[in-house]
Amino acid sequence: MDMDPDASESDARGPSLGRNMAATVVLTGLAILAAAPFAPADALDDARARGTLRYGGDMEGGAPYAFPDPDAPRAVTGFEVEIMDRLARGLGEDVRAEFSQGQWDKLLWVLDSGRFDVVVNGYEWTPGRAEDYLATRPYYIYQLQLMGPKGSPVRSWDDLKRPRPDGSPWTVAVLTASAADDFARGRDAGAIRVVRFDGATDAMLAVQNGQYDFTLQDVPAASYYAGAFPGLGPVGPPVSRGYYVIYARRSDTALRDALDAGIGRMAASGELRRILEKYGIWNDLQNELATSFEGPIATPSSSRGARGWRLVLHYGDRLRAATLVTLGLSFGSMPLAMAIGLAVALGRLHGPAPLRPLLAAYVELIRGTPLMLQLYVLFFLLKLDPWVAGIAGLAINYSAYEAEIYRAGLQAVPRGQMEAALALGMSRWQALRRVIVPQAVRIVIPPVANDFIALFKDTSVCSVVTLVELTKEYSILANGTRDVVEFAAAAAAIYLAMSLPLSWFARWSERRLGAEGAKGGLA
Amino acid sequence: MIEVDGLVKRFGAVEVLRGVDLSVGRGEVACLIGPSGSGKSTFLRCLNGLERFQEGRVTIGDVALDAGQSDRDHARAARRICRRAGMVFQGFNLFAHETALQNVIEAPMRVLGMSRDEAVERARGFLARVGMLHRLDARPRELSGGQQQRVAIARALAMGPEVVLFDEPTSALDPRATGEVLSVMTDLARDGQTMIVVTHAMGFARKAATVVHVFGDGAIVESGDPDRVFEAPAHEATRSLLSEVQAA
Repeated sequence: MDMDPDASESDARGPSLGRNMAATVVLTGLAILAAAPFAPADALDDARARGTLRYGGDMEGGAPYAFPDPDAPRAVTGFEVEIMDRLARGLGEDVRAEFSQGQWDKLLWVLDSGRFDVVVNGYEWTPGRAEDYLATRPYYIYQLQLMGPKGSPVRSWDDLKRPRPDGSPWTVAVLTASAADDFARGRDAGAIRVVRFDGATDAMLAVQNGQYDFTLQDVPAASYYAGAFPGLGPVGPPVSRGYYVIYARRSDTALRDALDAGIGRMAASGELRRILEKYGIWNDLQNELATSFEGPIATPSSSRGARGWRLVLHYGDRLRAATLVTLGLSFGSMPLAMAIGLAVALGRLHGPAPLRPLLAAYVELIRGTPLMLQLYVLFFLLKLDPWVAGIAGLAINYSAYEAEIYRAGLQAVPRGQMEAALALGMSRWQALRRVIVPQAVRIVIPPVANDFIALFKDTSVCSVVTLVELTKEYSILANGTRDVVEFAAAAAAIYLAMSLPLSWFARWSERRLGAEGAKGGLA
Repeated sequence: MIEVDGLVKRFGAVEVLRGVDLSVGRGEVACLIGPSGSGKSTFLRCLNGLERFQEGRVTIGDVALDAGQSDRDHARAARRICRRAGMVFQGFNLFAHETALQNVIEAPMRVLGMSRDEAVERARGFLARVGMLHRLDARPRELSGGQQQRVAIARALAMGPEVVLFDEPTSALDPRATGEVLSVMTDLARDGQTMIVVTHAMGFARKAATVVHVFGDGAIVESGDPDRVFEAPAHEATRSLLSEVQAA
């Protein structure tokens, strides 16, 4: 990096001083650059200057933590929202708390990026997180509650030590990367299979639907949503125990200390209790909030083993398994999508007249609605198996795009080809099969290959139906280890390694079939 | 063998054929001449069902296309007619993804149910007849226009048609290729193949035709022996057509 020319030339006070000045400027600049992803000074000063304390959370299935206010749907409410309102005011007369939406399992990464100042969303205190971020004292002591269908013969965790009567493991639905996820995975792996969801309420819905046996939820969510899922009831007493804390960036000690002291004041004054009672989540355990904590929970000395690339290698088997899921979804769905798409295109161009508007409507409906919602329908309404829902959803979604590509391809075959076939006495169907479609296929190779590569990456949406494909596994591992960059690079490299051969294959077949002449006649 | 009665064809409000009658007997070579836009190509496409028409009737052997038919009946009749009436297009329309040989065996195998061996053997015969035996494995885009049109003629002949319809077969060709194709057609005519030829090649019409029909403005304005029509045109439209051709 070059020195600032102005600094080195404004040299009235002598060469050596000038040079020192310049060096200082450069060093300061470097320091600012290095710290740029974080706040330049402590975020507490910023929040006071700005008049807002920005905190990250996820409103999806977010009650009673932070969720859309039923009385004012554009506003957010919840016990965390009320706690943050009080804490912000404790930072200064004019400071207001401002909720910022993010996907739950990515909130800490967004915190790193500086989009908000703290994360407050039922985030448990863990030694790993405490190593990378600053945590306050707890504002809630949570437990985990197993929920299952009312009237289930299973009464306690002990009943789950043995597999189901048919020998298969019990399925336990959890929110990805939550404390429940960790806890359930720590149980006997032979008798329990953990199924991961992107939202807490999705997991409850799937259990109420009968698609899975149980769901493990934090007590606040379990008690708040009991009314929304009348088919579910508690199984055994709450288990485990942990602390919801506020996380701040490592550089923001002053902000963390101010919030920590604020929680202490709210706990001592009974204000915290009033808020928790309002949301029906106060219990005797919470008395410890005022009595047992004098400050932030102590950070343990580093316990971490392997980090970075060695950790990626360590988890190689899991990445490989997730890659196979991605491949399975892609290669299972794309041939179906191409077949359905071709059928739809042929029907629109050559089918019976009454069928044509229906097929056009199919294309518009499927193409105009999100893949994720289609997967929801297949999985939660039709209650299909995750693999069936995933492959069918991708196949149907992409069939609409393929249909349009094929329609363009079919129309690009000169009309004389069909006329020549008919003039030879071939039926319309024979003409399509022998003459038109083979030429259309050659024309559409590049766009279809393009779509296939896009589909590779769209398989990641299938995490909403609990399939742990590559993106989901990356997210789980990056969350668990917080070695985000390495795992992101590894996942990207794997995606590239899958899509590049596809590109080569497409180019090769284009060349090969191109030599046979996709265009001819009057050329 | 081919009877056309009162054919009327409209594109929207425009009447392109205004009641055409025509009769072609076995072994005849009927040339249809006339200025561009006079309706002769459209007329030819009505004969084998590529175009529907609004009034009249086409009969080839025992199969009839009728203006009053349902779409389904028309398609069925057209398909039967197409087995007996081959067609050669101005733009050749060879199947672009197939070799010359594949183009010629496609319909005999799919439509007539011929075995591959039989179809190939016959195809070689027809390709030899049009002088294309040396390019069996060439794709259309590797062939010149004249070569493509000769393969297209072999493709039509391979179905053993009772009549071959030629729709301006040399209009897209240079003079040399035109000569090649016309000599193939002249041979066919000499061998007694029934043909209906829409053409601007007056030399061919005069030499090879048994009868010439002159189209003018959607109707046949004059018919007759080629020598008579070219020597002593009776209709004003014929005279102006012939003078334009001579001037060109």
